[in-house]
Amino acid sequence: MASVSLRRLSLICLRVSNLTFGGGDPTMAALQSELVTRQGWLPPEKYVLVYALARITPGTNILAFCAGAAWELKGWPGAILAVLAATVPSAIVVVLLTAGYESLQHNARALAAIAGTLAAAVGMMALSAWQLLRPHMQRGRALRMLRALLLAATSALLSYRFRVSPIVVLGLAALAGFFWRAPERT
Amino acid sequence: MNALLLYFLLLKATGTSFSGLTSLPVVRHDLVERYHVLTDRQLNAAVAAGRTAPGPNGLYVVSVGYFVAGVPGACAGCLAAMTPAFVIIVLLRYLGRRAERPGVKSAIQSVTLAAAGLVISATIPLARNAITGPLPMAIAIASFLFLVFTRYATVWVILGAALAGLAGSY
Repeated sequence: MASVSLRRLSLICLRVSNLTFGGGDPTMAALQSELVTRQGWLPPEKYVLVYALARITPGTNILAFCAGAAWELKGWPGAILAVLAATVPSAIVVVLLTAGYESLQHNARALAAIAGTLAAAVGMMALSAWQLLRPHMQRGRALRMLRALLLAATSALLSYRFRVSPIVVLGLAALAGFFWRAPERT
Repeated sequence: MNALLLYFLLLKATGTSFSGLTSLPVVRHDLVERYHVLTDRQLNAAVAAGRTAPGPNGLYVVSVGYFVAGVPGACAGCLAAMTPAFVIIVLLRYLGRRAERPGVKSAIQSVTLAAAGLVISATIPLARNAITGPLPMAIAIASFLFLVFTRYATVWVILGAALAGLAGSY
């Protein structure tokens, strides 16, 4: 394995995480090609383990992936630097955009443009729900699809209609999932 | 609201979510409904700001923090987005391949499905606030379809939506 430089590792996380649009999978794929293929730092089987664990780590998957991969290569200092590098530049852009939004509150034209972006954000939230459901919507696997829709619809109903706290809904879903598994391919 | 409490409330949201905007229902429940320090419109704007910026989608909590408590709030949001990432180190150390157990995998997958339902439930009040006529409705539907069927970055959708909103005001 080539020797790992803390600085290069942080720079890779900085560049890939902050400049890749399109969320989790494209970013993770870009990191794979950097860390596994180009630099040869991370053996493929380690990449698969970190990738799988990043998906089940709470919070943002890419940040967990950066933390896990950097920890494997450079321990805690690597993990902390990688997560900071992956987060802080984008966070600053988010703050500037938010401040811009607040200062434009009294301009009628700007408000019209902002109203357009707010409507688009609603579309994006619907997209987020759809992306979580999509892997379960496969033709010829009706039982799996039904289970997914039932879990999602029950959760929506518990939260919206009966005002059950989201944490409780997630806990109930974890319990249900532990005992009621998705049917395997028949 | 002080930044420390805000950090713990946002951490509660990020630490129980598994991707993208799945922390949104908890954020809305605590900050909009319980503490009344954030409006639905601000939450909606935070989502737009988070998606306009490049980088991880979960960073809309930075914008939420900024709306609630200015720059210290934004720092609290940023820390709350980063903290759960370190859980993976504990997992790598002690769990290793055990995470592949069918029961554990199925539980996590079900939590993700429940999160889809929770996102829908949290979107309804935001949609009521943002969709005030035929034009916003068309923008919302067009954005959704555009992102489902093409591979363009969300920043173009946000820009297009802003232009459409602007054009509609003339």
